[in-house]
This record gives sequence, C-alpha cells and structure tokens, in this order.
Amino acid sequence: MRLSLDWLAEFVDLPALSDLTERLEMSGFEDVFVEATGPDLSAIRVGRVETCEPHPDADRLRLCGVDVGQGERHPIVCGAPNVAAGQKVAVALPGTRLPDGTKLTKAKIRGQVSMGMICSRRELGLGDEHEGILVLDAEAPLGTALSDVIAAGPRVLEIGLTPNRGDAASLLGLGRELQALFPGPLRLPESSPEERGAPAADAISLQIDAPEACHHYVARIVRGLRVEPSPAWLVERLEASGIRPVNNVVDVTNLVLLEFGQPLHAFDLKTLRDARVIVRFAEAGEVLATLDGQSRKLDPEDLVIADGERAIALAGVMGGAETEVGDGTRDVLIESAHFAPGTVRFAARRHGLHSEASYRFERGVDPQGVARAADRAARLLAELAGGEVAAGRVEATGRALPEPPEIRFDVAHANRLLGTAYSEPQAVAWLERVGITCESRGNEGLVCRGPSHRHDLELPEDLIEEVARIGGYEKIPTTLPVAELAPATLPAGWRLADQARDSLAGLGFSESMSMPFTSARDLAALRLEESDPRRQPLVLSNPIQEQEGLLRTTLVPSLLRIARQNLSRQLERVRIFETCKVFLSQGGAEEPAEPRVACALLAGNTERRLWAPEPAPPIFFEARGSAERLFSSLGYVASFRSGEIAPYLHPGAGAEIHVEGSTVGAVGELHPEVAAAFEIEVPCALLEVNLDALLELEPGGRRFREVSREPAVHRDLAVLVERGQAAEELLAVVRKAAGADLISVELFDRYEGSKLPEGQVSLAFHLVFQRADRSLTDDEVSKRMDRVLRKLTGSFGATLR
Amino acid sequence: MPTADLDALVEEARAAIAATESPDDLTRVRAGYLGRKGTIAEVLRGIGKLAPEERSQVGAAANTAKRRVETLADERRAQLEQRATLQSLEEHRLDVTLAGAAPAAGHLHPITRVMRDMVDFFVSLGFSLEEGPEVETDWHNFEALNIPKDHPARDMQDTFYLEDGHVLRTHTSNVQIRVMTGRQPPFRFVAPGRVYRHDLSPRHSPMFNQIEGFMVDERVTFADLKGVLLAFGRHLFGDDVELRFRANHFPFTEPSAEIDYSCELCDSQGCKMCSGTCWVEWGGCGMIHPRVLERCGIDAQRYQGFAFGMGIDRTASRRYGIPHLRHLFEGDLRVLEQI
Repeated sequence: MRLSLDWLAEFVDLPALSDLTERLEMSGFEDVFVEATGPDLSAIRVGRVETCEPHPDADRLRLCGVDVGQGERHPIVCGAPNVAAGQKVAVALPGTRLPDGTKLTKAKIRGQVSMGMICSRRELGLGDEHEGILVLDAEAPLGTALSDVIAAGPRVLEIGLTPNRGDAASLLGLGRELQALFPGPLRLPESSPEERGAPAADAISLQIDAPEACHHYVARIVRGLRVEPSPAWLVERLEASGIRPVNNVVDVTNLVLLEFGQPLHAFDLKTLRDARVIVRFAEAGEVLATLDGQSRKLDPEDLVIADGERAIALAGVMGGAETEVGDGTRDVLIESAHFAPGTVRFAARRHGLHSEASYRFERGVDPQGVARAADRAARLLAELAGGEVAAGRVEATGRALPEPPEIRFDVAHANRLLGTAYSEPQAVAWLERVGITCESRGNEGLVCRGPSHRHDLELPEDLIEEVARIGGYEKIPTTLPVAELAPATLPAGWRLADQARDSLAGLGFSESMSMPFTSARDLAALRLEESDPRRQPLVLSNPIQEQEGLLRTTLVPSLLRIARQNLSRQLERVRIFETCKVFLSQGGAEEPAEPRVACALLAGNTERRLWAPEPAPPIFFEARGSAERLFSSLGYVASFRSGEIAPYLHPGAGAEIHVEGSTVGAVGELHPEVAAAFEIEVPCALLEVNLDALLELEPGGRRFREVSREPAVHRDLAVLVERGQAAEELLAVVRKAAGADLISVELFDRYEGSKLPEGQVSLAFHLVFQRADRSLTDDEVSKRMDRVLRKLTGSFGATLR
Repeated sequence: MPTADLDALVEEARAAIAATESPDDLTRVRAGYLGRKGTIAEVLRGIGKLAPEERSQVGAAANTAKRRVETLADERRAQLEQRATLQSLEEHRLDVTLAGAAPAAGHLHPITRVMRDMVDFFVSLGFSLEEGPEVETDWHNFEALNIPKDHPARDMQDTFYLEDGHVLRTHTSNVQIRVMTGRQPPFRFVAPGRVYRHDLSPRHSPMFNQIEGFMVDERVTFADLKGVLLAFGRHLFGDDVELRFRANHFPFTEPSAEIDYSCELCDSQGCKMCSGTCWVEWGGCGMIHPRVLERCGIDAQRYQGFAFGMGIDRTASRRYGIPHLRHLFEGDLRVLEQI
C-alpha cells in the first residue's frame, strides 16, 4: 500500500521518519519505507549568483558569475528576466544530466562561454513554470545537492500489510496504529454533510435479498453536481497512492476509501431503473458489463447490486458500465456497504478482478464506519462538485454481524507464554492503546473486547500478541528452555541416505539437487512400458511449464538432462548423483508413495591420465565398481545378475543388484535409444538404488571372520566355457565346491580370441585356501581343486585350459 | 713367504678392491684373496711347511694381512652401496609439479552441507529429526495449520496442486501436524526438507529447502524461542551475530514474528548482501496457535510451544558466495565442484 506521508501527517503527528519506519516494521508491517517521488535532483547544485551583467551581444541575455561552493566563479549565460546577483539558484554544471535527459555541455552563447545552466522549475521537472529561474531560500547551503534542499514531489509511505490487518489499509487505520505506537492525538476529517433538498428516501428504495452476504447498506443521494476533473491536491493524493484520477465524483469515492478504508461506489442515479437498489445473488445466466469494458457471465454465488431490472455492479469488486458516472451525470447515488469477506474474495478470484475495493472487503472493513464514509463522500461532493446532499441516508441491514467477542485476559497466562514478568496495569495499558477495552469482572478476571475494526482478535493468544507487539518483542527476555534430557533420534532412512551421499561423493560423484518435475515425453523416452508404474505419475493441475507437468517417478531423466547440459558445456566427463524422494501414484484412494532413491550417472570414459595410457574398459565396469563400493560402505553384501533389467539400460551391459535375494537397484550402460533421445553421445552408465527397499534388509556385510596364523595356499585355475556364460554363476559353484577352507576367490583374467576355439572364453580364477587350526597339505588342496574343476565341468561344461 | 711379500700382497689387494665397480665385482675380488682358494688362504695353508720359528711370525703376519684386506673390502662395499643409493636417487627424479593421481573427487551439494550443519545443532540440543511427505493432503498442509480455505496463501500462484487433490507441501510445517497427531508432548523436533511454491520470480525457485523446528511442553516460552534461535544463529553465522524479532502474522502461530539476523558479511557497515540494512531476513516463528494444538489432539490449556521455519538455500548461497539460487539447482558441475 502507498500513501502520501504529508496527508498522513494531517491525521497524526509523525515521529522522525527513521523511527516511524523502524517501529512499524518491528510491529507487524512489512517492507516499510519512505519514497521521495519526483525527478532526481541529486546532481543539481545550489549556487550563488555573484555577478550579473548584460550580455555584450544580446539584449535579453545576462552574463552571470556563479559560485557553486568550489571557490570558483563559473561564467553562465542566462536568459531569465528574474536573475539577479546575490540569489541562491539551482545550477546544472557541464556533464550533468537534467531530468528530461539532456546532458549539459560547455557552450558558447553569442560569443560568450557558458559553463552550465541556472535552472527553472520546468527544466528541473518540477512543473510547467518557465517564467524565470527557480530562486532558492537564501539559507540554502552553497554546493549541496538540490535534492537535500527541496522535495521534488510528495513523500510516499510504502507499507506491506499482513492479511489479518486489513484494518490498517487506510490513513485512519495507519493513523490509529501510529497513535498506539507513538501516543498522541488522532484527527479525523469532517464528515457530516450539509443536507438540502428532498429526502433521499424519496429518490430510491433499497432492499437486501442476500442478508448473509450484505450486512449493512447505506446510500446517499447527491443531486445537481457537475462532473469535471478534480483539483490538483486531490489528483496528487490519489496519484501518490497509485490510483488513477478519473473525475471528481469517482476521485472522491477513492479519496474516502484511502481516508477510511471503506470502499464506495457512485452510480449515476438516473440510470437506475425503477428507482430501486437490490442486493442479491446473481441469477443463472445473468451478464454484467463491468467498468473495465468486459462483459462478464455471472455465477449464482456472485453477489450483485441490481436495480429493478438487472445487475448493475459486482458487489465489492467492480461497478457496471451502464450505470457509470460520466460527464453528463447530474445526480449520483453513493453506495457504502459491508459485504461478507468470503463472498467478495471468491467473486474477485472467479473473475480475476482484484481491486482496491475487493482487497479491503476481503480483509473485512469496519462495520461501524459504513455510514461515516457515505457521509464524508456526500460532503466532499457538495464541496468539490457543487452538488446538493439529499436529506438523510437510505439504509438497510442484512444479517447482523456478531459483536467483537469478549476475550478473557490473564496476565499470568501472557507471562507464561511469553516468558515475561509484565504487570497487569502495564499489559492493560498496551491493550488499551490499540483500542481494546478491558473490564475487571470480579471472579471472571479481566474481560476484554477488541474495537470494531479489528477482526483478528478472538482468543487470549491474540491479546497476548498485542501485548508483545506494543510492548516490543525486544523487551521479551532471551532464555534457553529447560527440559528433560531425551535422546535425539534420526530416522533410519535419513541416515542411510546421508551415508549414501558420503559414499558416492567419495567415489567421485558430485551431488545435484534438481526440480521434481518431468514430462510424459521424457518418461516415454526411457522406453518404459505404458503399464509401468513409472509411466503413471502424479499430475500437477497448475504446472509452471505445461511440458513439465508431472512429478518424477524416477531420477533418471533429471540426471540425463543434467549430464546433457554439462556435456554441452564441453565437460568431457560427468559423474553426478542425487538422493531424494520420487513420487508414485497408488491409485486415487491411497496416499502417494514417496520412495527414497539414490541415482548416479557416469558419462564420458574413465579419467585418462598420463600414467594410465591404455584404453579405458567399458564404462559399465566403473559403474559396477562404484555400486560394489557403495553397497559395501553401507554395510550390505550385493550381488549382480544379468537378466530382466530396466528398459532404459543396455540389455547386454546391465545388471540387477540383489541383496539377500531382493532387487534393490540396477546398474548398467544407457540403452542406445535412450542415449539418442537425450542426446548423449559419450559412453554413459547409471546406478540406481532404492534406499527404502534396502532399509528393509539386514546389513550383513560387517561380520568378523577368524584370521589365521597358518600359511595360506594360493592356486590358479583357468577354464574354457561358452562365451555367454556369466562369471558370477561360476564363482558361486567354485565357492561351493572348494569348501570351507577357501577364504577367497577372484576372477583375475578373462580372455577370448583367436587362440581359443570358436565361441569359447577363458576364465582364470585365483583361489586362496587357509585353515585357522593347522596348515593345509598340498594334497588336500589339490583334491579340492580337482573337485572345483569337476563341478565346473558338470555345471557348465568347462574344460581345463 | 716373507712378511714383506705379504705387505705387497695387501697393497695389490688394496688396488684391486679400489678398482671394483660393483658389489659382485667386489665379492669376486675379495674371494681371490680371502676365499678358500684365495692367495692369503694359500699362505696360511703353507705355514705348516715352514720352520717352527717362522710359523708364528708368518702366521701372525698372514692374519694381519687377512684382516686388513677384509677391512678394505668392507669399506669398499660400504662405498659402493652408498654410491648405488645415490645413483638410484638420482635416477628416480619426477616432475613433482605434475598433478596427483588421486581418483577424481566428488562433492556434496552446498545445501546438504548446510543442512547437516543445521541438523547437527538441533541434535545437540536433543531435537529429533522427522521428515514428512512432500506430496501432502490439504489438511496437513493448510487446514490443520489454521489456514482456512479463503486464506490468501491458498492462491493458485503460491501452491502446486495435484489433479488427485493433493498439494506439494508449501512449507515443512506439515511435519508439525504429522508428528503431533496421535502423540502427546513433550515434543522436540526438527524437520528439514524440500518444499515447493508456484513462484518463478528471479529471487525464488519453485523448489527450495526449509528447516522447521518445534518444541512443545508445559512451559516452553517465547523467550525460549528467542534463546534457541539465537544459539542457532550463532552456530551458523558466528558468535557475534544478533537477532531481531519483528512482529508478523502467520495463521499457525500466535504471537508470530519474523526473524532477521545481523549481516555476517559486512560487519555492520551495510553491504550489497543485506541491501545496506545490516539485517538479513531469516525466517518466521512464533508460539504454536492453540487451534493447531487442538487439531492435533493436544490440550492447549496444558501445553504450549514454539515453532519456527527458515530457508536453507539462502544460507548456503551466502556461506559459499553463490550469487544466484538457480546455481544450486541446475546441476552445473563447474559450480558444484567448487564447493
């Protein structure tokens, strides 16, 4: 909200500006500042005309010597008739830009050098007067900025109101608030009009058919007025508040709205059919042409003002075009009413019409101020538009508004909640400063009641807030709570996610944090089946961008997009991960599921360094290695199985990750079609873990095994098997066949090539045997190795290489 | 053999040993004098053939010669070994200004780092962590928090609505309702997480991170709220930081306040990062509204408590000097790898 500060000063005595803004900000108002309006005069200097002589070659020009506080006399040619030696004047030196944008330069005028300009009001952007230069107060300090000496325009107070404080949206409201913060008098403008002519009640009949939505309606009639532009002072005040002046009638209604916070509307009386005003809900299919030139189809929940035939205004929101006050209007009806906040709010939202009036009605106007505002407007119309105010108001009431509630106030309760030690008289004094009445009622204690304009005071806590606010939050002590010790807990899922972050960062991945939105196109590009739950996302009703209207069910598209962007910035190698929740619809009835996942992406091959020149292995192995490390650092034993894998992974280079027989994730190279869809042209692999699924399983990876002092026996074994045979399966058989004394087995070589039979691959294992109680004999180990080979032959047709 | 010959032999050995260039060479030369078939051994073996009066003299001289040759050989061996060490040091010379071979490092997100710092503080005060869902019901996000249907915060420009009637939570305050419903105080909880607002102005992001905290017991006061937040502020921003509590309005607290902290970057001089005011907006707080407690089934006559919430992202961007919030959410590795 914006208000002229000088106007506000007519209502209350203003404290120093810095106190005013700070205290308002501390007491519940937001972003309070005082804005100097008008052109920027900070580059213009105060100068003194030291000498003033006729120009040798021009009759109308003078040659002046001007001091701007630098002890130097600037020659300036000036054409103004009123310039004289000894004056303090506004000087623009060469290099200065005037408010209209022209930049001054050193000039020669009729052969005389002129170092700048002595300015008139018009040249400074302060008005149209160009009769002569602006002569400043003789006391104005030489050389200072002109902006420090004169105000270029009205000072405007800019202030943000919280939704509960609609009562402060006026000069009266802010005046009341300032009066509470800086006790002093409050001055209200005169409102009672001088009444003449026939009674208003003869001119119009009034009826409220929607008593629940219109509590009070007051009409005033002003006859014989002349519609014309408003006087300058009125225009200036409206403009300072950001309201466009229209004509004296409309401007008066807006002026009173700013003064009292009560929205008004003026109808051209002669356009009202049947001389009737009816407040009712709109009829089905009813249409209203509003003042903004739009034809609006009304909703049966819209409250309207109607005459005998039709709707003529959307109550509390906007008037109708057909009853608008115009140049030919002679008689007007001024409406001042109290409409239900919810009714106005929904109408304003439904029609996308947010006006100064609806803003105030939505927040609740003062029911006691309805008649006063109508009176004040009638009085001003008589003054400014030459109208005659008809005798009396025409009034009707709907359902009575409840009185402000009685609220018990117990200072002990206040002190218990705030941690203060205020006395009752102190607290009561603060409450009374905001207009709350406090009455001591024996056993009941203190019973308080808020003023009619405050709709936000209902509970004892509301009063306690007023005590805290007026007393000052800074007066409340700062203490630490006293409580019983109790262990703090972190959810297991949170801890697991944090460990996964540490682990992945340790493995060289950087953490991203991306928006949760995705598109049907991206999900389809992952090659997921239509029936896949990840293709049935939750849908936003109001997305920021239409094409990003879904909540992501997987992190894969987000990471692919991040990878793509990084690659396009010429990074050759991307290692990135994110850990967060994704969103899965459970069908309408159930709450959506939010499984927590970790997803890591590798794009671009393993780092090449001077000391590692050999070509990089397939990126799958780096991804799998990262997965192995991740799981072992989380304390889980993971196994990797080829088979049915996510459709966005390469079918020949992807594996499911299993822990205790459950699938908890996947690792693999990106499917080439998906890579193409996301424009990723370098080797790329993904690692996905469902952390919630992992949480269900027992971490079995951290168990002590006896270490032996006996010597270990190392044996190697190379076999030939079919090329498609998964090594993991062979390893499982080796472990089983080798027996309990096998302490480790490792696949250390895989070879396929021309030296081997077609379709065969050589796998070489390194086995280590050891016992805790004694050393093993060669013979014992050889027997075990024989059994391993037999089993491999039996299960896989393996032959010794 | 006369002793003079032995002296000559030692001299000859001295020259031969000095001429060796490797330990193997030395071993061979040494064996030529001292080995079983070596020259000195031969002399010793020949002693038996000498006259008895010569035996002891020649024997002593031969033993002396043997020890001298041994010493010469030992000294030469030490020399050769030292030379080999020096040589290997000389040969293994690297350009130590080349980059190290450590695996590429990953980086935690700046917000993760700050969030952990914040959580650590509250855990140290015995606050437990809860998360709550991000896709939330109208009840938990609004209604139970005393934000009725016609409240301005409900407007479409603020809230993401889902077609199934849920909303994306607009704050972490839903966790208050999730935690308190069906349980009884005392409560001491902190709830960090992602929240969403339908707002794309340059200073805001549709997704951001908040941390919520609340404490409910019989005598938790506004003064306690000030104390906890001051300690929190000093933990995050430094021991000299001051807080300012400005009255404000939130539907779910009464009394309510906005919190500012004194700018940690400009030392009360006024800077770009605090718009010259020396105060930085931090978050909102207040005493939990009795209606909120009642909606969670808690006796508001008996229990009272505070709640607060603040953004995490701006603290992260200020801590690491990141000028725009968008840098936090774009996944640009050139940014993420700096922190």
